[in-house]
Amino acid sequence: MTDSKPLTGGGLLFKVLEQHGVNHVFGYPGGAIMPIYDALVDSNVQHFLCRHEQGASFSAVGYARASGKIGVCMATSGPGATNLITGLADALADSIPMVAITGQVPTAAMGSDAFQETDIFGLSIACTKHSFQVSHVDELEKVLHQAFEIALEGRQGPVLVDIPKDVQTASVKQTFAAAEHLKNKVKLPLADISKALDLLTHAKQPILYVGGGVGMANAVDEVREFANKTGIPSVSTLKGLGALDTDNENYLGMLGMHGTKAANLAVHDCDLLIAVGARFDDRVTGKLDQFAPDAKVIHFDIDTAEINKRRAADAPILGDLKENLPLLTMSLNIKGWQAKIQQMKSDYSWRYDHPGENIFAPAVLKEVSELMPKNTCVTTDVGQHQMWAAQHINFDDPSNFLTSGSMGTMGFGLPAAIGAQISRPHDTVIAVSGDGSIMMNVQELATIKRYQIPVKIVLIDNAKLGMVRQWQDLFFDGRLSETDLSDNPDFCMLAQAFEIKAKQITKKSEVTAAINDMLDHDGPYLLQVKIDAKDNVWPLVPPNSANNEMMESA
Amino acid sequence: MNTATLNNYTLIIMTDDKQVVLERILQVTRYRGFLINGMTAKVNTGNNIATIELFVSSERPISLLTDQINKLVDIKSVKVDNNASMQNTA
Ligand SMILES: Cc1ncc(C[n+]2csc(CCOP(=O)(O)OP(=O)(O)O)c2C)c(N)n1
Ligand SMILES: [Mg+2]
Repeated sequence: MTDSKPLTGGGLLFKVLEQHGVNHVFGYPGGAIMPIYDALVDSNVQHFLCRHEQGASFSAVGYARASGKIGVCMATSGPGATNLITGLADALADSIPMVAITGQVPTAAMGSDAFQETDIFGLSIACTKHSFQVSHVDELEKVLHQAFEIALEGRQGPVLVDIPKDVQTASVKQTFAAAEHLKNKVKLPLADISKALDLLTHAKQPILYVGGGVGMANAVDEVREFANKTGIPSVSTLKGLGALDTDNENYLGMLGMHGTKAANLAVHDCDLLIAVGARFDDRVTGKLDQFAPDAKVIHFDIDTAEINKRRAADAPILGDLKENLPLLTMSLNIKGWQAKIQQMKSDYSWRYDHPGENIFAPAVLKEVSELMPKNTCVTTDVGQHQMWAAQHINFDDPSNFLTSGSMGTMGFGLPAAIGAQISRPHDTVIAVSGDGSIMMNVQELATIKRYQIPVKIVLIDNAKLGMVRQWQDLFFDGRLSETDLSDNPDFCMLAQAFEIKAKQITKKSEVTAAINDMLDHDGPYLLQVKIDAKDNVWPLVPPNSANNEMMESA
Repeated sequence: MNTATLNNYTLIIMTDDKQVVLERILQVTRYRGFLINGMTAKVNTGNNIATIELFVSSERPISLLTDQINKLVDIKSVKVDNNASMQNTA
């Protein structure tokens, strides 16, 4: 930009983004955001044109989750803005720091049902941590700083900034004033650890229950140190996967609806549950009043509102996990309990025997886990393939497993993988998707093509909305309703149309070579893995059941 | 719901007088399962702080709502007015 050209609101946006270290944004242009796209031309921020605003929002989520940095996406007013909503809701539910910028019709036109006017500010209330509408260009700089602060502060989340077109074009001076800090932050009480220490030293059968908060608190080391030093057997939620060392002999894997038998039985029997950055979600607890029925609870969290929300805490510890968990880290004598845990772990370990030539998805994903390079980032879509990925791939850090946990949003996997790959260009990124889910953001194959993003897609193809089909078979008398996808497109041809190398496999004997071929390929790759439409995810805790009442076959 | 006890509460909320703060409070209240029986609201134009009295009822403990309202960015304080809150059976 020539220095004589006066700074506009749009130009200021990118200056503030640069101040916050934002190098990459994901978006899609349109009428009401054109001045911002004009200013983009002169900025140092790199923009990735996604092919749907939902794709842009999920790429921003994937970017944030894989890198720990904030994700930024932008869209025009009206339909552009509403297309961001699913990504915002997903980021809110999974506590992901994101800033979404939307263009708005000019202030004079607002409230007149103008072309492409929608009340995104009103719509944002239920799907963001906070939102702003900038009514004058002089507020813009401050609002943008506050948006970043709010997105990252405490329990993280998405913030939307709606900017009318006239604010984008108005001249403005950058003040460089330090943003005035949030004054109304929730004050956390000083952690009272004496009660927790007492519970811990008296527990005979404690369990460490680890959630997504651990990664977000940057407390993976502290949690592993706690697990090692105390020797307390541990379990993880879907979002907590990667936080614990999978080689730890007392680690039992995921708990909950599709958790391991050992994890669910151990939690059911425990006398002390140490919840760390976890929130007793219904997919974790099963029937709530029968979840860990004999346990006292120590609950570590950053969000006051999670304490006593679903399960009363005997010792709540609010605040920064990194500081608080070491206060309870000590050696304990629980040898008998550990022996019982290790016995269960070996009695109920995963089995990969599967008759016939058809491919068994859990075995494929286990092999992907063994063959993928260190620090590979895996994303998933939603369904059976997601649960199999969670069960059978080992992750060494929460930032290496990106899945839509709370919302369970189909369409998450592909754009999240794109965002992850852009944030970590030197790591392998694998999207484990399903034949239903991939179609929900399939247009992002064009983003992969345009930027030559070397994402590897493992498409678990059962020609079904498999998870829903499984429930119809088990809980709706096998009355299959709208879950058949046998007329899917030719996925390999589809990938090739976007210049993505593709291969289909149908037999067990082809698996190893195909995974290696995919991992050895420099560019993007789609591996279509045809599996039996009848395969189910086991174990399964049926609805309204306690976690010790899991089904292990139909 | 038949045998559940509906408790009435009065909340006194102090908040910065910011955009849509009232909508946010009402949305959280409804979403968290509280019925709104009435409200008063006024802004002190001197310091731009609004005081909102919210009369709500629910079977759920009031802390579920106050904790969530407290998280709203513009809120300064939320108090349950114990003198005004009372219990009755629905
Ligand atoms: C956006 C969205 N719509 C609907 C659902 C409900 N749903 C959950 S799993 C599933 C089936 C997914 O099919 P596919 O991607 O092929 O995965 P599979 O279960 O077959 O592995 C559906 C429809 C959802 N989670 N998200
Ligand atoms: Mg499927």
